[in-house]
Amino acid sequence: MTDARRRRTFLVLAIALPVVVTLGVSMGSVSLPPLGVARSLLAAVGVPLGGSAPLPPSSEAILWSVRLPRVLLAALVGGGLAVVGAALQSLFRNPMADAGLLGVGPGAALGAVVAVHLGWAHQVFLALPLCAFAGAMAAVVAVYLLAHAGGRPSLHGLLLTGLAVAALAAAGTSVLLVATEEFRVRTVLFWLAGGLEGRGWEHVRLGAVFILTGALALITLARPIDVLSLGEDEAAALSLPVHATRMAIFVLASLVAGPATALAGSVPFVGLVAPHALRPLVGGLARRLLPASFLAGAVLVVVADLAARTVSDRLDLPLGSVTAFVGAPYFLFALRTQEGRA
Amino acid sequence: MSAPLVEATGLEVERGGRPVLHGVDLTIGHGEGLALVGPNAAGKSTLVRTLAGLLRPRRGTVRLKGRLLSDWPREALARTVALVTPDDEAPPMLTVADRVMLGRYPHRGPLRPFTREDEEAVTRALRQTGIEALAGRRLGTLSAGERQLVLLARGLAQEPEVLLLDEPAAHLDIGHQLQLFRVVDQVRQCGVCVLAVIHDLQRAAAWAPRMALLHEGRLLADGRPRDVLVGEAAARSFGVAIRAHEVPETAEVVFRFLDREGSQETRG
Repeated sequence: MTDARRRRTFLVLAIALPVVVTLGVSMGSVSLPPLGVARSLLAAVGVPLGGSAPLPPSSEAILWSVRLPRVLLAALVGGGLAVVGAALQSLFRNPMADAGLLGVGPGAALGAVVAVHLGWAHQVFLALPLCAFAGAMAAVVAVYLLAHAGGRPSLHGLLLTGLAVAALAAAGTSVLLVATEEFRVRTVLFWLAGGLEGRGWEHVRLGAVFILTGALALITLARPIDVLSLGEDEAAALSLPVHATRMAIFVLASLVAGPATALAGSVPFVGLVAPHALRPLVGGLARRLLPASFLAGAVLVVVADLAARTVSDRLDLPLGSVTAFVGAPYFLFALRTQEGRA
Repeated sequence: MSAPLVEATGLEVERGGRPVLHGVDLTIGHGEGLALVGPNAAGKSTLVRTLAGLLRPRRGTVRLKGRLLSDWPREALARTVALVTPDDEAPPMLTVADRVMLGRYPHRGPLRPFTREDEEAVTRALRQTGIEALAGRRLGTLSAGERQLVLLARGLAQEPEVLLLDEPAAHLDIGHQLQLFRVVDQVRQCGVCVLAVIHDLQRAAAWAPRMALLHEGRLLADGRPRDVLVGEAAARSFGVAIRAHEVPETAEVVFRFLDREGSQETRG
């Protein structure tokens, strides 16, 4: 891979993100003119173009109070999940590892449902994302310990362990749902399907704090992540504190994936597709792969959310189903290619 | 007299609760080349990993430049001792240059950016191992032998004073083997001490000025390769008879290995 291709990839992603964000806020049940939207957004960040007001007041209201927070949250969630996917793939030394497949999503869901069931979600500030974080963390540590109990696991061993932990978490969620008071169940079901309906600026602020902090910290740890991907012995011989680094990645990955799940529900396969597609373009080093994955994941989920809102006139599709419809076939294809090579 | 570079005393090491080394004493000095030989499961890899600080001895000590290994800060230790193992688990998408550059981790740590000095060390390591042309290639596209040279280059990029090689030539054809040991001798001339686990006894004897024989966790012989190989200890631990033959008009010695049971003969 040449430097030119790497630079081109970053350039394309850096242009694509604002373009899809603009499209995302322009399209929906009420269409807004993309040029007017772009002018309004640019004016807000201090680049005023032209004299007249870019959009009528009703459109401005839709743009600023409904569409923009939703689209920005989609970008944060997508970017965060993609960075987590890339980091976990290095940690598990397996390009097929993903937060969803490793039980992180279901773990986060279980944590969030516990928060709702106990009534904390309505009483305690940040209880929902914090419980989702704890659930995600518990799941990824469980998968890691179980899968490594008999030495380095095969791809099958890893995926099956993730499947088992995910099933266990899902079972726990179901049991809790039955035991939860009815008026709370609706909130949970709505949220479990995955989606960004009704998300406002308070959600964006919450997401920005958790997801950006976690993702930036993971990107900062890119070099230790690369050294860790060389294997335990070599990493230790190169002076990396192996266990501390692993724990740091677990905590940061859960810090991103837990609240991302709490805010947007389950959004599967983003963490798998983005890094997998980017590796041939930017190379395998986390230093480049992680930031590129953030941009690509953000683009993917903004587009997926746009599709979820606009494919049907009558109903919004769950965001998680859209990413699964695209991601699952991609995953199966990649799995076949990988098995063929192994 | 200055302290020896590496000094192991009374090493007892367990792996998975099973005792592997039973009181090994070994001293290596600057610029020395030592071939560590022994039958399978003798504890060679365990000894090498203990000297690298990856395994803690249950009893006994390892001193590096007179200072206990456990007293060395991690980074300083990894700048002084490089370990090259036979299995490469690195992701196949990394390029050779990226892989070798990670050998500079002990010099720069997690955050400080790589400098011109690091790039020069990497270029030097790639040139020494003769794989400059592979710098931009992905690991997944290399042969097993090429990957082994990449691993050696990563070790050299660490710019260590002690180079520990576990089976460095396992996947190499004869041309690459000779090249590898030529590279190892070059770095020895710069004062680096090299300890290499080598299975091929003929190759070990041809390269190393000194040979140590490990058997069932004990060091049975340590000296000139010829003396070690024709000694009773080598015959006993490998279960073969070993004969040395001088090649007329050269300083070379060829070894013959005779199966004691079936009196079958192989020439190394």
